[in-house]
Amino acid sequence: MTSTTRRSVLAGAAFAASFAITPAFAQAPTEIELFFPVPVDGQLARDMTALIKEFNEKNPAIKATPVYTGSYDETLIKTRAAMKAGKPPAAVIMSANFLLDLKIEGEIQKLDDLIKTDGKTNEAYMGQFFRALHGNAVLDRSVYGVPFHNSTPLLYVNADHFKEAGLDPEKLPSNWEELASAAKKLTKREGDRVTRWGIIAPSNYDYGGWILQALTQSNGGQWFNVDYGGEVYYDSPSMLGALTFWSDLVGKHKVHPAGVQAGGAVSTAFLSGQASMVLLSTGSLTHIRTNAKFPYKVAFVPKNVKNEVPIGGASLVIPTGVEGERRKAAWTLINWMTSPEKSGWWSRATGYFAPNMAAYELPEMKEFIAKNPDAGIAVSQLAYAKPWFATYKTVPVRKAIEDELQAVLSGKKQPKEALVSAQKTADEIMKPYVEQTALKLPTN
Amino acid sequence: MIEASSGVANREITPRLGYAATLLIAALWMTPFLWMLVAAFNPHTYGGSGMASLVPSYVPTLGNFAEAWASADFPRYGLNTAIISFGILAGQIVMITLAGYAFARLEFPGRTLCFYLFLLQLMLAPVVLIVPNLATIAKLGLYDSLLGVMAPYFASAFGTFLMRQAFRAIPRELEDAALIDGASVWQRIGFIYLPLAKPSLIAFGIVSVTSHWNEFLWPLMVINSPDLRPLTVGLASFTRGAEGAQAWGVIAAGTLMVSAPLLIAFALFQRAFVNSFVSSGIK
Repeated sequence: MTSTTRRSVLAGAAFAASFAITPAFAQAPTEIELFFPVPVDGQLARDMTALIKEFNEKNPAIKATPVYTGSYDETLIKTRAAMKAGKPPAAVIMSANFLLDLKIEGEIQKLDDLIKTDGKTNEAYMGQFFRALHGNAVLDRSVYGVPFHNSTPLLYVNADHFKEAGLDPEKLPSNWEELASAAKKLTKREGDRVTRWGIIAPSNYDYGGWILQALTQSNGGQWFNVDYGGEVYYDSPSMLGALTFWSDLVGKHKVHPAGVQAGGAVSTAFLSGQASMVLLSTGSLTHIRTNAKFPYKVAFVPKNVKNEVPIGGASLVIPTGVEGERRKAAWTLINWMTSPEKSGWWSRATGYFAPNMAAYELPEMKEFIAKNPDAGIAVSQLAYAKPWFATYKTVPVRKAIEDELQAVLSGKKQPKEALVSAQKTADEIMKPYVEQTALKLPTN
Repeated sequence: MIEASSGVANREITPRLGYAATLLIAALWMTPFLWMLVAAFNPHTYGGSGMASLVPSYVPTLGNFAEAWASADFPRYGLNTAIISFGILAGQIVMITLAGYAFARLEFPGRTLCFYLFLLQLMLAPVVLIVPNLATIAKLGLYDSLLGVMAPYFASAFGTFLMRQAFRAIPRELEDAALIDGASVWQRIGFIYLPLAKPSLIAFGIVSVTSHWNEFLWPLMVINSPDLRPLTVGLASFTRGAEGAQAWGVIAAGTLMVSAPLLIAFALFQRAFVNSFVSSGIK
């Protein structure tokens, strides 16, 4: 072939190619961002990237970018700041208990009309998700969030330590008394120094409040008014009992280390054999499973009065101000991510529940549960789960009690005075909302 | 004779005590760093009781570094961090030199008031300004850009204060002499003030670069594109899980990688740095 003909052939090919490419260019993909926190570990940042890459390949009309946004709290700050700057992300994986506050502030959208366009009612749409998750997603009968990954606290136990201490790993502590007595037997000391703790529960921000809610509920109490965003019951007997129990494990029984324990450090202590029992999220299941070099068991959070735990985890939301094609694209992404297949895949990768019940009907999930009974126990606890605490200004209201919790666990305060002061701070924070709503009475 | 010998004894004991105290404080201060070093080469990444030990009890491994390196695009994040830290410094040097000169040498009505208003910036915690700053950045079209991360830091109150003090300490006669020779205001700043204020500039540079090198929250707010992430955000995306276990070995290795450039720079220019701190009065 001479150079001239080769050139003309190339030109012809390019010409033809330009036609082939044109349709793709004519419709530029709708670009959307998905803000996501990494609540579990770094592997998940990679899993999320893989998930969105697959979505983009299957939906060429949409180009979604996963944006790492820190912890749950930082994700809230970043989303709010981005919205105020006029750059709302199309979708956010948001801590499930922030939805009420976001709704009160008018920062997230109702999804009702999107559901309606798909030919479904709200009830039918939410019917695909576990009942316990509705409280943190449906507000005033409107759907504001789609459950994506959820959790409850769980008791993790080192079976080897149980046997060594003369306890039966087939019969795990089911109430507070058994928990405390097992913890005493499991704690090891060398003189005054503790070399192995009987139990550790995380008390860092976000985690501490959640664990305390689990203890309060299993003590028969309530943390907040489920129907109204301006009431928390910090200074109540059920909560005093829960906080006293936790503080006794530290101060009286000396089976739990003093001071603030961060979630990650608690899992590390468990994996390295420095803690025999830990209270951690179901979200840690996969991590514990892949890294534990000893047989472990999981059980419900031990009760005092009844089995009850709060929901944790996150839902997908669409911020206010996301309109048109971007809104539609976000909805497509949200439904894809919460489909039985994808939510099942994510559940197996992380340990979180698949909120979509149909995920558990899939053969790969059935096989997975059969192979990993611990994941099954986590799911069965969902029957006893209640909504996560959510109020007006959830984060500061939560910090009000967490600061006091940390003071108690560090031995700086007594439970009763801590709760009185937490209640006072929380009431102060919620006052504007309460005056706007509950106290707004007719004047004439 | 007796007096002299007791004097010698005093002189010998006191420096030794001082030396020992310095060593002790240095050792305390070094502990977290040493622990990081020991943990970074530990093959048992999730610990075991040996993890808390300062004395290595294992065959060192580079596995943690390999995993940390594979977890994030470190060369790119490193480049972004360098652009941010040194870009901020470059902008700051221009701003604080000119502002410092204005407050030190120019006479204008309301100068003192202006200066105190400027210093008020030091009273505000940066977190409070996240939302208004981000709104401004977005209006300027700088959202999700490295310049957007840098912009709010260009006008540094601390730097301006420092340069004002440094310029005021320079005898005015030097400037007057240049003025007689017909030097413009830019020439006077460039040839007289800047060279003489070098120690202060270097000291400020160290403080500025270290703080922006380590910054997390503001870049997290501004940056969306994975390609524009700085080291801190990139490192956090794989080490800051709340519900997983902390892989101390990998975290230590990653942290060492992130802080290494600064540590090496400090080791190389240690003498110059220390001198500049001594002569600038920052300690």
